[in-house]
Amino acid sequence: MTPILGRFIILASVLVATTGAFIAYAAGAKRSPEGLRWSQRFAYAFAALMIAATGVMEYALITHDFSVQYVAHVGSTQVPLWVTIVSLWSSLEGSILFWGFILGIYIAVTTWINRNDHQEYMPYAIGTWLSCGAFFSFLIAGPANPFLTVANPPLDGPGPNPLLQNHLLMIIHPPMLYLGYVGMTIPFGFAIAALLRGRLGQSFLRPLRASLLLPWVFLTIAIMLGGWWAYEVLGWGGYWAWDPVENASLLPWLTATAALHSAIVMERRGVLKGWTVTLIQASFLLTILGTFMTRSGVFNSVHSFTQSSIGPTILIFLAAVLLFSVALLSFRIDSLEAEGQLDSAVSREGMFLVNNLFFVVLTFTVLIGTCFPLVVEAVKGKQMSVGRPYFDAMVVPIGTALLFLLGVGPALPWGRASRKEMQRALLPPFITGAVVLVIGYVLGVRNPWTLITLLFGGYAAHVTLAQMWLPLRQRMKRGDSFGPALIDTQLRRGRRRFGGYVVHAGAVIVFVAIAVSSTMRTQQEVTLTRGQSTTFAGYTVTFTGTEERAEPNRQSTIAHFNISKDGKPVTTMEPRMNQYATMREPIGTPAVHSTITRDYYISIMNLQGDQAGVLIINMPMVGWIWFAVLMMGVGGLIALIPMRRRTYVVVPERAPEIDSEVVA
Amino acid sequence: MIATLFLLAFMQIKVPDAAQFVGAPQGTPLTGPQLERRTMEISSELRCPVCQGLAIGDSPSIMAANMKAQVRELLERGYTEAQILSYFEKSYGQFVLLKPKFQGVNALVWILPILALAGGFLLVVTKAKKLETAPVKSAAPNEPVDEPTDDLYLARVREMVDKQ
Amino acid sequence: MNKTVLIIGVVIVAVIVFVLFGGLGKDPQHIDSPLIGKPAPPFALKAVGTGQTIDLESLRGKPVIVNFWATWCVPCYEEHPTLVANARNLPNVQFVGVVFNDTEDKILRFLAERGAAYPTLIDANGKTAIAYGVGGVPETYFINPAGKIVAKFEGPLSTELLEENLAKAMK
Repeated sequence: MTPILGRFIILASVLVATTGAFIAYAAGAKRSPEGLRWSQRFAYAFAALMIAATGVMEYALITHDFSVQYVAHVGSTQVPLWVTIVSLWSSLEGSILFWGFILGIYIAVTTWINRNDHQEYMPYAIGTWLSCGAFFSFLIAGPANPFLTVANPPLDGPGPNPLLQNHLLMIIHPPMLYLGYVGMTIPFGFAIAALLRGRLGQSFLRPLRASLLLPWVFLTIAIMLGGWWAYEVLGWGGYWAWDPVENASLLPWLTATAALHSAIVMERRGVLKGWTVTLIQASFLLTILGTFMTRSGVFNSVHSFTQSSIGPTILIFLAAVLLFSVALLSFRIDSLEAEGQLDSAVSREGMFLVNNLFFVVLTFTVLIGTCFPLVVEAVKGKQMSVGRPYFDAMVVPIGTALLFLLGVGPALPWGRASRKEMQRALLPPFITGAVVLVIGYVLGVRNPWTLITLLFGGYAAHVTLAQMWLPLRQRMKRGDSFGPALIDTQLRRGRRRFGGYVVHAGAVIVFVAIAVSSTMRTQQEVTLTRGQSTTFAGYTVTFTGTEERAEPNRQSTIAHFNISKDGKPVTTMEPRMNQYATMREPIGTPAVHSTITRDYYISIMNLQGDQAGVLIINMPMVGWIWFAVLMMGVGGLIALIPMRRRTYVVVPERAPEIDSEVVA
Repeated sequence: MIATLFLLAFMQIKVPDAAQFVGAPQGTPLTGPQLERRTMEISSELRCPVCQGLAIGDSPSIMAANMKAQVRELLERGYTEAQILSYFEKSYGQFVLLKPKFQGVNALVWILPILALAGGFLLVVTKAKKLETAPVKSAAPNEPVDEPTDDLYLARVREMVDKQ
Repeated sequence: MNKTVLIIGVVIVAVIVFVLFGGLGKDPQHIDSPLIGKPAPPFALKAVGTGQTIDLESLRGKPVIVNFWATWCVPCYEEHPTLVANARNLPNVQFVGVVFNDTEDKILRFLAERGAAYPTLIDANGKTAIAYGVGGVPETYFINPAGKIVAKFEGPLSTELLEENLAKAMK
């Protein structure tokens, strides 16, 4: 019964999305308000169907209805409830359904928010979103159908891949990633609408920018959570391996970041419209490429789903959207172009151009590094690999240049600057940079790239903090009292600006923390017999023994280590080896002792009787990365959350439109 | 007696050795922390063949541990990095090198991003020049009617901020 | 219409689509062996059970099939009967098993349960496997009578596949 209901809902959603897309495009072409209302209804209906389909699947998972193929494939009565619930996104078919679920919600919410606004663009936007919706419901209905029935339902299933059951981040990382990935569909729809209309008005920039910033925030957090997850479970003390699937999540983030910057120039000067639209299209296309990379089995990755037949289908969709975007862009880009001008290239606007250059080159480098083995194989029939050493060598210089811009860009004035103004803006932060550099050197940093990062990081931190509090200082100078001025400049009127600088401040910390944690890392492999100790990086590690623990889905061996410093106990650490019934080799879980300055990381290499072979890693500043990326996300949210100026005033009906336009 | 037999059997064991593939060591034998550091560095450049794209230095698999042990042994015997990489390349091909060689088609993976940077830089310079000299269109003709009038207060604040 | 955008765009689309379509259906775990046509790396390893040392060079003059496997590998279970049966049927071909990352008692138990028709050698620290470029088990190398590797096969062999690859070693 359940699978039939699920299949019925999915078929209905294919129908609704397709029809809705046609109606919406027709309404756009005819500028029909009635048509727009109908396309809005179809958008809501699509979302409702997607939510219903997901609900049916969750019901089947929770009730262990093994007659549903997907449940038979990933379900198990032996796993905890949370694992059962998140099994929805643990395997290919369910993950596509989850994609549709998120897409439906995004479409409905955006349609609802803009139900009375931007009427000339909305039909085309809804049409584009529903076309994507149609494709994904087609995937769910056909090549990746999770609702197929099993003729002879098994009594129990294997449960999801043990690697995914191994950590609670499974609950939060994939939804964040999907919110980021799928969310890129929304600005894409807006961009297509602007191109189809051949116009990108100033008032349409607000929804465009907001719709880009929200998935950007999710993607930022998701990438960090992914790195943190890898760090917590994989046992080699790394958080980023330049794996194809990791790169796939980074690529749209890079282009989206570039677009967020070029949108600022677009807003201020009326230029770079076509370019911003191109970047938004690229961000969406890269999410589809990422989906292909993860699910086609073409790329060799720790994170990829099992080989599947949906690769070609996604590739055809990718090719079609690519061609459509390119054709539309080439027909319409000239009608969007420049209304304004730049006063001088050596200005903040000029720095935005350079910023975009570096982000795009970075995207290109990561893309080519990821796909190059395929190119060589296709052209020469020879195998080769492109891995971490390549990416480190290429990305570190570009990243350092971006950090430099992060400092210099905001320091430069808009428009045109005199030599004296430039000196006043650019020189003082150097002192901060030099101080940070010297502190780093004294603390033992010798790697030249890390030293440069400290110099630029100090510079950028100075500029960012100065810019952050500038409006407040000005208000105080004019005699306003601190409290109200603070709230007004940072959280109300200046909220967007303040949020932007919070993101920048987070980014500076991320740069420095990555440089320091990767170049100052030390590690040691050692075999300890029970009762034996070793001293490494200031801590004495004593192996006190092992303990067996049986859990429903796994059997764990936990090793106990006492950590002490100068004879005083600090903590105990318990890395473990987990044996899952369905896995041949055990999966280790390292133990991490985090302090403000560093992480102490113990990972079991092998356990034999009284002997434990362990890898001990000392990583300074690594915890800062997680918090700083979180800070970037929070900064993005500060800049995003719409706050109407007259919240505290009793407004009889709707506050005038103009207020929200100006403040947001 | 049994020990001698065992020793005899043991001595007959022969495994393929780097010397047969890349000749005599060309560097100086390493020991202590330097050996550990170089082992780690070279291990990050070799791809673990049984894993999925990971370096042998980053992989917990036994195969990777074996390969890492071999890297350490070769460094101890005085083999250079180039010799060690070439030894592994002889059995696994360029597949095993995570840092592509700068030769043939593979050189493109290094050159293309630099070309892109150079080309992009030219593009940005020309674009900036063009924008600097572009005539300002008086009133944008195709602006929509729903254009909001700008808040004067906000404009003033921005002005002051920017002047600073 | 902006021709520059169109041309650049179409080129990008063509390259991406061509490369990705080219990649479809390939197994990313497959490794081409650079050793095909080259002399097989020599080894002399101890056989489980007998303790006898077998030297590859002493096997010159007839085709040799070197099969890398382990008791913890599921496809090796499927493949084992095929290898044993063929080893019995093909007296002129020398079969050799090489096991790495495994313990002798597990191997002996495996062979006792599932039969043995040829020597199984222990590659204690995986050095032989590395020299052959093994990227997973099971993996089989076909060596011709002159001692050159003529073919490499990844995954479990069937009789047909075995014969097909062996034909190259017979020439």
